Amino acid sequence: MSDRYEIDLNVKPGDDLQDEEMADRTELASRQCLTGLHTETPQVAIKRKGRGFQSGDQRGDGVHSSAFDKLNSSDDSASGRALKSIEGWIVLITGVHEEATEEDILDKFGEYGEVKNVHLNLDRRTGYVKGYVLVEYEKFSEAEDAIAAMNGAKLLDQTLTCDFAFVKPTNNDDRGRRGLTSRSRGGHGGRRSGRSSSPTRR
Amino acid sequence: MPAEEFYVRYYSGHQGRYGHEFIEFEFHADGRCRYANNSNYRNDSLIKKEMTVSPLMIKELKRIIADSEVMKEDDHKWPKKNVVGKQELEIRFGNEHVSFETAKIGSLVDVQGSEDPEGLRVFYYLVQDLKCLVFSLITLHWKIKPI
Repeated sequence: MSDRYEIDLNVKPGDDLQDEEMADRTELASRQCLTGLHTETPQVAIKRKGRGFQSGDQRGDGVHSSAFDKLNSSDDSASGRALKSIEGWIVLITGVHEEATEEDILDKFGEYGEVKNVHLNLDRRTGYVKGYVLVEYEKFSEAEDAIAAMNGAKLLDQTLTCDFAFVKPTNNDDRGRRGLTSRSRGGHGGRRSGRSSSPTRR
Repeated sequence: MPAEEFYVRYYSGHQGRYGHEFIEFEFHADGRCRYANNSNYRNDSLIKKEMTVSPLMIKELKRIIADSEVMKEDDHKWPKKNVVGKQELEIRFGNEHVSFETAKIGSLVDVQGSEDPEGLRVFYYLVQDLKCLVFSLITLHWKIKPI
């Protein structure tokens, strides 16, 4: 495992954000940049807000742990950057009208192949369509045709944008491996490296 | 050209009779998305999935977050984490970075009864919309039921 750095800000739990503290954090953020730990320019002040920054909780089993399952592309350059899901190819459509129905989607997207699955998710507050749809095709060529034909097309007067939902992973895997908050969590002075290894998957 | 700073992480969990039970997911600006779910109830095991979503998916995620206006909220009047558990929502969006922490919310009744119902309602609905999106991604990509 590569060296990991933790920068502690010694935030006392329950403290409200004071201006002085804010300035300290900004400065620290700048120093991180100078040492190449962060990609942004040093001049940028980041506005931070929330109790999560004061929480000293450390977990070794969540998204910051390791050994995640991944689907790997079987080196098929024919599909370009798109990645096949377990059973097919998932197309994402955005710009979907809030009153669009599954039928509207099947109508339009069924032209390019049998749509195996549709997820037309709703806005939990309004009950209307959230604005995106995920559809599944069995074949790459069907998904590719649908994207080519429907990207920029109109549905209920709104312009759709279509692309594959999943792509092959980029190689710079270590960049931003951890979350952002963990860098600024207090209460573990001098701690470096060492989240415990995650439990083995059963 | 460096991508705009963007990161989203949501956690909900508690320590209880069945150990640390939680769900957590995150999205990075480059599309990397991780999902972890642990429930020891009836010997369910830890699920850890990683996938890379396309730039269009990240763009849609940004739209959902921007539309919610959650970055304007503040968690200082929200119910504090308790024995029932806690939720965390961390979002880095450009030069703004929030890391909200609050108790689990059972329903809108908890929202209405809180000291900041407007703000907490924004959080409550955004979290549901994000979970809905992530569950769809997991279900379609892996053909498993995430929870």
